[in-house]
Amino acid sequence: MRILLLLAWLLPLSGVMAQSMAVTGQVTDADDGTPLPGVTVVEKGTYTGGVTDLDGQYTIMVSSPDAVLTFTYIGYRTTDEKVGGKSTLDLTLSADVAGLEEAIVIGYGNQQRSKISGAVGTIDLKDATSVPVLRTEQALQGRAAGVQVTQNSGQPGSTQSIRIRGTGSLNNAEPLWVVDGIPTGGIDFLNPSDIESISLLKDAASAAIYGARGGNGVILVTTKKGAKGQPAQVTYDTYYGIQEPWKKMGLLNAEEYAILMNESRASAGLVPYAQLADPSALGEGTDWQDALFERAPMVNHSFNFTKGTATSSTAIGGSHFAQDGIIGGEKGRFERTTFRISTQQDAGDRFRLGQTVNFTHIERNALAENNEFATPVVRALNMDPVTLVSRPDGSYAYSELIGSDIANPINQVATTHDQWMTNRFVGNLYGEYDLTQDLKVRSSVNIDLSLGSQKIFLPSYDLGIGANDPNRPAYEWREVNGLIRNENKWSNWQWENTLQYDKDLKNGDRFEAIMGYSALYGNYQNIGTYRDSLNSNDPDLAFLDNSLNFNEQAPNASGGFGESSYLSTFARLQYEIGDRYSVSGTVRRDGSSKFGANNRYGIFPSLSAAWNLTEIPWVVEKDWIEFAKVRASWGRNGNAGGIGNFDFTSVVFNGQNYTFGPDQQQVNGAGPVTTSNPDLKWETVDQFNAGVDLDLYRGRFNIVLDYFVKNTNDMLAVVPVPGVVGFLPAATNVASARNKGLELALTYRGESGDWDYDVTGNLSVIRNEVTGLGEGGTPISTGGVFGAGNDFSAYTDIGLPMAMFYGYETAGIFQTDEEATANMAQPDAVAGDVIFVDQNEDGVLDENDKTVIGNPHPDFIYGLTTNLKWKNFDLSLFIQGSQGNDLFNGIFRYDLNTTNLPVSALERWTGEGSTNEHPRITHTDANQNNRVSDRFVEDGSFLRLKNLQIGYNMPDRILEKMDLGKLRFYVSATNLLTFTKYTGLDPEIGSRGTLEIGIDRGFYPVARNFIAGINVTF
Amino acid sequence: MIRKFLPLLFIPVALVSCKQDFLERTPVVGATEANFYQSPEDALSATIACYNTLQQEVTNIQGSSGLKPHFRWYFGDVISDDTDKGGSGDGDDPQLYDYERFQGNSSGQMLLVEWQVAYRGIAYCNLALQKLPEIEMDEDVRDAYLGEAKFIRAYWYFNLVSTFGGVPLVTQPLASTEYQQPRADDVEIWNLIKDDLTDAIETLPLRSEYSLNELGRATRGSAQALMAKTNAYLGEWESCYQVSADLVGEGEYTLDPDFGNVFTEQGENGPGSIWEIQYMNASGGNWGQQLEGTFSNVFQRARGQFNGFGFNLPTQDLVDEFEDGDPRLSFSIFQEGDVMGDRGEFTQESTGMPHLYYSRKYFNNAADEAPFGDPNPNGHTNDRVMRYSEVLLFHAEACLNTGRASEGADALELVRRRARGGVTYNPMDPQAVLPFIGAGDLTVEDIWHERRVELALEGHRFFDLVRQGRAAEVMQNHLDEHFPNGGYSFTAGVNELFPIPSNEITLSGGLIAQNPGY
Repeated sequence: MRILLLLAWLLPLSGVMAQSMAVTGQVTDADDGTPLPGVTVVEKGTYTGGVTDLDGQYTIMVSSPDAVLTFTYIGYRTTDEKVGGKSTLDLTLSADVAGLEEAIVIGYGNQQRSKISGAVGTIDLKDATSVPVLRTEQALQGRAAGVQVTQNSGQPGSTQSIRIRGTGSLNNAEPLWVVDGIPTGGIDFLNPSDIESISLLKDAASAAIYGARGGNGVILVTTKKGAKGQPAQVTYDTYYGIQEPWKKMGLLNAEEYAILMNESRASAGLVPYAQLADPSALGEGTDWQDALFERAPMVNHSFNFTKGTATSSTAIGGSHFAQDGIIGGEKGRFERTTFRISTQQDAGDRFRLGQTVNFTHIERNALAENNEFATPVVRALNMDPVTLVSRPDGSYAYSELIGSDIANPINQVATTHDQWMTNRFVGNLYGEYDLTQDLKVRSSVNIDLSLGSQKIFLPSYDLGIGANDPNRPAYEWREVNGLIRNENKWSNWQWENTLQYDKDLKNGDRFEAIMGYSALYGNYQNIGTYRDSLNSNDPDLAFLDNSLNFNEQAPNASGGFGESSYLSTFARLQYEIGDRYSVSGTVRRDGSSKFGANNRYGIFPSLSAAWNLTEIPWVVEKDWIEFAKVRASWGRNGNAGGIGNFDFTSVVFNGQNYTFGPDQQQVNGAGPVTTSNPDLKWETVDQFNAGVDLDLYRGRFNIVLDYFVKNTNDMLAVVPVPGVVGFLPAATNVASARNKGLELALTYRGESGDWDYDVTGNLSVIRNEVTGLGEGGTPISTGGVFGAGNDFSAYTDIGLPMAMFYGYETAGIFQTDEEATANMAQPDAVAGDVIFVDQNEDGVLDENDKTVIGNPHPDFIYGLTTNLKWKNFDLSLFIQGSQGNDLFNGIFRYDLNTTNLPVSALERWTGEGSTNEHPRITHTDANQNNRVSDRFVEDGSFLRLKNLQIGYNMPDRILEKMDLGKLRFYVSATNLLTFTKYTGLDPEIGSRGTLEIGIDRGFYPVARNFIAGINVTF
Repeated sequence: MIRKFLPLLFIPVALVSCKQDFLERTPVVGATEANFYQSPEDALSATIACYNTLQQEVTNIQGSSGLKPHFRWYFGDVISDDTDKGGSGDGDDPQLYDYERFQGNSSGQMLLVEWQVAYRGIAYCNLALQKLPEIEMDEDVRDAYLGEAKFIRAYWYFNLVSTFGGVPLVTQPLASTEYQQPRADDVEIWNLIKDDLTDAIETLPLRSEYSLNELGRATRGSAQALMAKTNAYLGEWESCYQVSADLVGEGEYTLDPDFGNVFTEQGENGPGSIWEIQYMNASGGNWGQQLEGTFSNVFQRARGQFNGFGFNLPTQDLVDEFEDGDPRLSFSIFQEGDVMGDRGEFTQESTGMPHLYYSRKYFNNAADEAPFGDPNPNGHTNDRVMRYSEVLLFHAEACLNTGRASEGADALELVRRRARGGVTYNPMDPQAVLPFIGAGDLTVEDIWHERRVELALEGHRFFDLVRQGRAAEVMQNHLDEHFPNGGYSFTAGVNELFPIPSNEITLSGGLIAQNPGY
């Protein structure tokens, strides 16, 4: 073996010694004849090579006059050219319009687009960077078929949920992020403009190389690295933007509110509240939405440097981004500072090494969001319009009409001081060695260290009139201030070793193989403390040592530790028969400490094949067909995302305390809370995929069509155990679900005179269905909505999509008391109350009469991008939408009978024949008109002009004078127009948990923003 | 050079083979069932965990993410003729409204949480009873701990059997193959309660043997009192007499001379306190995490400026039950015009609701509210489950039923005398209240009346009516008067018990049979 290796190493060298000669030449663009700098020129079968200079010139020593030169350049077709004894070899390269040769990043390697047999989507970040994205997830929204991205909140810095090919789990359905080979929890830490490209591994065959963690799909992010031989380039991007709310909900003004409240009280035989006795005197009153929302700025600076030499390349990036919230301004500020160096070096012909260092600093101020109890949004929408924001003396006022959760939202914003600070370091070091021309070994070590620090200062305040005002509601004063400090540390390392063999066989076939080992370890530690009675109410002086409470119990401290590990082996074999067929198979074996002792290892195989039809005579005849390929794949993945570190065991928890004695001393109690499950394992995802890739009309028109069936089995679900067990049941691998769907992506590129344009559209249709919940498994109720009778609004059962809206079906309004009395199922109803359908017709309205009342899953989602260039101007238009999904409007706190109401309440029932839609206003709601019913389910379809941008590139002649490479100015508007029938603040509502989709409990709306920016390249 | 790099390939293999335990990770913070229950400290923590469930009156249960209330006063008072549900309207906890009118069915969450929390408490007791004997520790301390676990287990089974009748008898932690359990006969449950209490009476310390900071732990007296109550429920009057006589004779408890003091914060764990569920007002609780506070304060306070939810509204019938001038009325019930502590004067306007009465026994002043965190789940008021006056009244009833009328009259007079303010009834004084009832006049109705007013709003009434065999009569009258157009009926032989939660019947694989009539 060793002799063979040595021979393979020595042979080319001996050739060089034999008959070397120099070849020079110029490489130009086939279209317009401009010289191409940075083209790699290599003598085939050797390490000898060079790079073209700024004029496209190259010089290379070749081993013989019969040598073959391979010219490669990103975006152009790779071309082999025989030297044939000539010493000058000029060449034109033609652009790879359809991107057939584009190297697509796949798990543990690259593959030419034309050979790919799985379903891999790519995001062209060249486009995405020209439209500024605030978060990396946004770059995926509407840009790739089969991928649904929804905001979990419009607050700056809040996460977004990503579903690749539907919701594949009841537990954690988020995909795996892998940045330059490093699995990273989330993508927060990366400046979006450091990203070169994103690949989405959508089918199981592509993701199977990630085994137990690939079940929800994998997002591979490749960062900018610079290229060998590339001249130094400095780019600076900056923009400034203004964000504003794009919509206000129609609510009652003070006069209308008073009229309705008086009616409500009269319905219970009560006299009007004194403040509301004369509605006409109240006028418009307070507009709490105007008081709450504001215009908020954001700003971004991003700097990038790339340079290559013949043997190395370097990329350096730095950025700062700051965004205020449209609620609370700096109280919702998100700031991200990033710094990054990535370098690669050749150490001799055979050894390469590389390093990447990322440092990210994030500061985030956050306001409570997305619940119906204590968020500024829900308070602003529910607060009565009679209460003033502040009194004449400037102090904030409280409502005398609503107590409970609906406190003054403006005071809430002012008294919230909740800061998160994260410092994250992600680093990588790798070495790669060519054992032979075809066989290389690579070892890579990553570390990911994240320090998260939280500071919540709770100042004392009192909205009472004078001292000890007995009328102030509970939430409107805090007697003693306090400070919560939490420190969290996540540290992970991964060590991965691979052996890769690529061989071009003599018969034109190609063989590729990779195998590897990987070890991954992560732990989490935290310390939390609380102290009260600080010496100052100034948030800048909020430190634990400033507490004046010296009670020995006062320094309340907690801390914990958790860890997990993975050990994996994997392999992929790929065989290409000429250009016509390619077949690929992978297998991965994953073990994890998170799995129970009885199921420690899982095996995840896959198989895929592609058939290039372009060479079939029938296709060859059709010269409008540039390229055609059909592909099919099957694979198995796991999903371990929903499994906690020690879920397999029954942990004995402390803190099950009890209080004794007059001093209220807490004594620690300890015991298990759940039963244990030593069989716990990953969720198994099997997926079949079939697809067609078509390039027509010389690559101008591009079609990708995919059909898939994804079955998730062994899904973790909690099967209830009888109450006599006493402990909560552990989750077991019992449930199953299916997602199947169709994805279509179309691109058309064209030009005419000075006009250049392209249109890209995608459409995804996905059908989700729960196929099993385990023996004895019961439907899962989620999505409790307090305002609607504190009942669940979502329901997951066999045969239905996950998290369907579930409740009572309504059938109009009782128009007369006689009609109401005649309805036995609603004994408490009178005229004006809602008629609920007694589904089982048993004369009793109860749980058994609940039914599906809406579907939060869209019929289809789509995105459409148009880019238009005319001379130095460019325009891009991006439309995104969702069709056929329902939303549950749980914004209003109907459980409190004095909150403000939507204007639709004005159309309430007032007498026979007045309306058959909106019930009467009632104080006691004996009929429970506001229970969870289809009254609150609304069409959530929307079409959004997500982005419109106009840019201007400074012409070359001016740039030359200014000594600049590129200078571009642009203005951009995001969320400019939204078309929807939904009445809430925003139709783009993400999930609070996997099984809480599209429930609006006072959603923090997405802002509309206007941006002006500059890109400069030196 | 090649040779230098080749070993790289084998390093991960070495990692697999040398570090077999790379994938073995167990919790190091906290413990698992396997490595806990070793030390005397563990034994104490396991015992305290038995108490923890007692505080879970508004809690999460299996399969639901919402918090569900199942207060003792829901069952004892709201269901009875003593109070109405209240709240913001009929739709505020509609299931309770259904049960109040005997219209509820077996699917209600309120019953499910009652059932599940009781068995959760029993599970911790069973675990302690199984694990503690294996721990090396002081025998007497262990016996006392075991006594506490047995007392708490008996308490939960008492609640279960009086609410549902016979229930599954679970006396040790269940293996996964034993999850489905049939109902036991109610006699078996009562026997377990009596066995557990007999042991607990033997091993539990006297109240005076605990330190001040341990007040709230189960005592010999709590076990004796629950035994007396058990005997009374079963009509075992001679046993009831013996055990209540023991308790009285041991002199551990006296009546607080000031009835009004009993329900104040200062009155907690007072001289007449036999078994109180302890709550504190400073645990930083929030709605997701109840911690150590009670919700009863906020649930029972009036709405409007009193910042409460206005549940458990006393009926006119209860108010009328108080004898003229009985000072206990004003300490039990707020009437319009009363000043509600430091929260202001009670008017219909100030509460925003048309109700005339509110319960006072769970009222807390604004000044007593949680100094931090959310005051709503942070009420301080302990739940007075068993008081000395109740034992005296059981004693009186046992005396009367066993031919010891004069001893019974003495016990009753102790209660009435305290209510009177510690003075002897003077028939000559026109201002005198609560006439003395001598042995010759004493009837069981006198004792029952005394229970209703002395123990009003403390969660006893409905179960008393059932025990006294007059639930059907009293409740039907109440329904007819209170819901004149409702046509609701209390079915004798059915409505004395609540239905078994249908969910539990399903989960038992049908082994559990429903109560008759549901």
